[in-house]
Amino acid sequence: MSATLLPEDRPADSHKRSHSAETKRYGFFPGCVAKESCKELFNSTMLLADKLGIELIELTAASCCGASVVNDTNRDIARVLNARTYAQAEALGLDDVITICSTCTGHMRAANKELLENEERMTQANSILGKFGAKYNGGVMVRHLLWMLIDDIGLDNLRKMVVRPLNGLKVAPFYGCHIIRPEKVNGWESARNPHSLEDVVAALGGEPVDYAGKTRCCGFHIQLEKDGVATSMVGQNMRMAKDKGAEAVITPCPLCHLALDGYQQDAASRWGRTDLPTFHLPQLVAFALGVPAEKLGLNKHLIDPRSIMVERDLIA
Amino acid sequence: MANIKLDIFRFDEAVDSVPHRDIVAVDVPETMTVLDALETAKAEVDGSISFRRSCRSAICGSCSMNINGVTGLACKTPCNTVMDEQGVIQVDPMPNFQPMRDLVVHMDPFWDKYTRLKPYLQPADKDEDHQTERRVSPEDMKKLVDVANCVMCATCYALCPVVSVDPSFAGPAAIAYAYRFIEDVRDSKREERLAQINEDYLWLCAHCYACSYCPKHVDPNDRIVDVKRATIKDRVMMNERGPRHALIVNKTVKQTGMLAETEVIQGTVGRFNFRGLLKVAPLGLRMAAKGKLPPPFVKPIPKVDEVRTIFDSLEVPVS
Repeated sequence: MSATLLPEDRPADSHKRSHSAETKRYGFFPGCVAKESCKELFNSTMLLADKLGIELIELTAASCCGASVVNDTNRDIARVLNARTYAQAEALGLDDVITICSTCTGHMRAANKELLENEERMTQANSILGKFGAKYNGGVMVRHLLWMLIDDIGLDNLRKMVVRPLNGLKVAPFYGCHIIRPEKVNGWESARNPHSLEDVVAALGGEPVDYAGKTRCCGFHIQLEKDGVATSMVGQNMRMAKDKGAEAVITPCPLCHLALDGYQQDAASRWGRTDLPTFHLPQLVAFALGVPAEKLGLNKHLIDPRSIMVERDLIA
Repeated sequence: MANIKLDIFRFDEAVDSVPHRDIVAVDVPETMTVLDALETAKAEVDGSISFRRSCRSAICGSCSMNINGVTGLACKTPCNTVMDEQGVIQVDPMPNFQPMRDLVVHMDPFWDKYTRLKPYLQPADKDEDHQTERRVSPEDMKKLVDVANCVMCATCYALCPVVSVDPSFAGPAAIAYAYRFIEDVRDSKREERLAQINEDYLWLCAHCYACSYCPKHVDPNDRIVDVKRATIKDRVMMNERGPRHALIVNKTVKQTGMLAETEVIQGTVGRFNFRGLLKVAPLGLRMAAKGKLPPPFVKPIPKVDEVRTIFDSLEVPVS
């Protein structure tokens, strides 16, 4: 297993907090979908945090990150909404904010980058935050749980913590666009050929499946735009995964999860049946670390992952 | 010098029913570009290898192709950045296009979408009636210079996952080029242009940032967002799903601080669009059966007034 994942040109200070490993205390931004239609993601994340021995402190007054759609009307609004979230984190002494959604990760990081690199924008944000007595000082770093797992916990430690190895379950990673692109915003690993999810799957005792669809788009943001298009994007990607022998999919993004889990059935008419069950990243990690399967909300998935888990002797 | 082995997609639509691959070895310095290696192969080994090229310096946009599965300009890609330990480099035609011969593809769909935009200046009056030069301030010109760098290499079009499943989508380059004229102060057809690009499925962009790999840093992804903002600002085709989706998301975030999924779905499809709602109903029922439906109403976050202050301060149109 390679220990170095990181491209040499990655901006070091935007991904690492030297003290975070000791404090093990993180600001937690769950995002809207983990609180609405993917509650099983929220619950599994909290159960995983217990197993990892870290404290996730939810930013309960935080707003939506903008979800790439608020941007479509006005270039400033999402940035200032996120500045408000960062100000709350700072006020709580939590400058290390963890997300569990690829879209939140990308858009919160983009907003932060714009604020930190442009004084005018920071001034604009703070003049609005000032109306209700808040201020962002520019000290927050946003990371996805996936990056925190590898940077702070470490793959070696993760491997040692596994009590229920995945018995070679063939798992196809599906990253979700906004955790890798644009590279200048994320840059934690190569956007062309990321392998953090593969590394985590391998550490859990699964067999990662390499396929061309892993960095492609699930179509979530255009599901309602034109009939069949997003559905077909799901089918295309899942076809590639299935053809490479995948038995399941893992994703760090609840939006991808909604698309992959929800639309494979409808995509079958064009792409053939794939029926790949899709795990949220924290679900599969928490399972391998010993959280009981029935606590992970696997019964909420439209394509039930439990049959393949029985087949692989992971659950009874 | 390095021994580079080009693993080339070979196909001639006039004679072949299926493509095959040839491995062609050439000795070139490894700091030379993939295009240099291809030119050497054509000159020294096999004159029938076909590919488009002209300027050799990332200005003409002809030599876009897949290099180890990654779309980009062959003239801008040094061999030593892509070859493996054995010196092998795979070259294929751009995806999302019909192959014509080897690395040459049929570009017609790309050009069709581009010409539909009427990609030329259409001022309000004729040049002969216009007494002075048409002046553009430096600030106004600044908006256009990045897009003007587009060399129409079609890399973004080849990378676009939406084009790959639905060729009716205009694609990133065409939308970026529409922006170039929509935001040109000398042009008089802003409204028509916005309507046209909306009809060509502007809102079908999936926000995936695949086109952020533009070799000329045009960043079509950002220009697509600019055209959407212009659409909403000018209130063009506001009854279509794209603008409705953007506005309902803004509305629910302003009201509750959250993106309220149920309300967003109803607001985008149309609360009284029964046929549209029927189409999303089967998935809704499947989700309901699993206890996975998002809540009908979302409780506002603590201090939601602060969120409303942000919206009001920035005068976002929410209707």
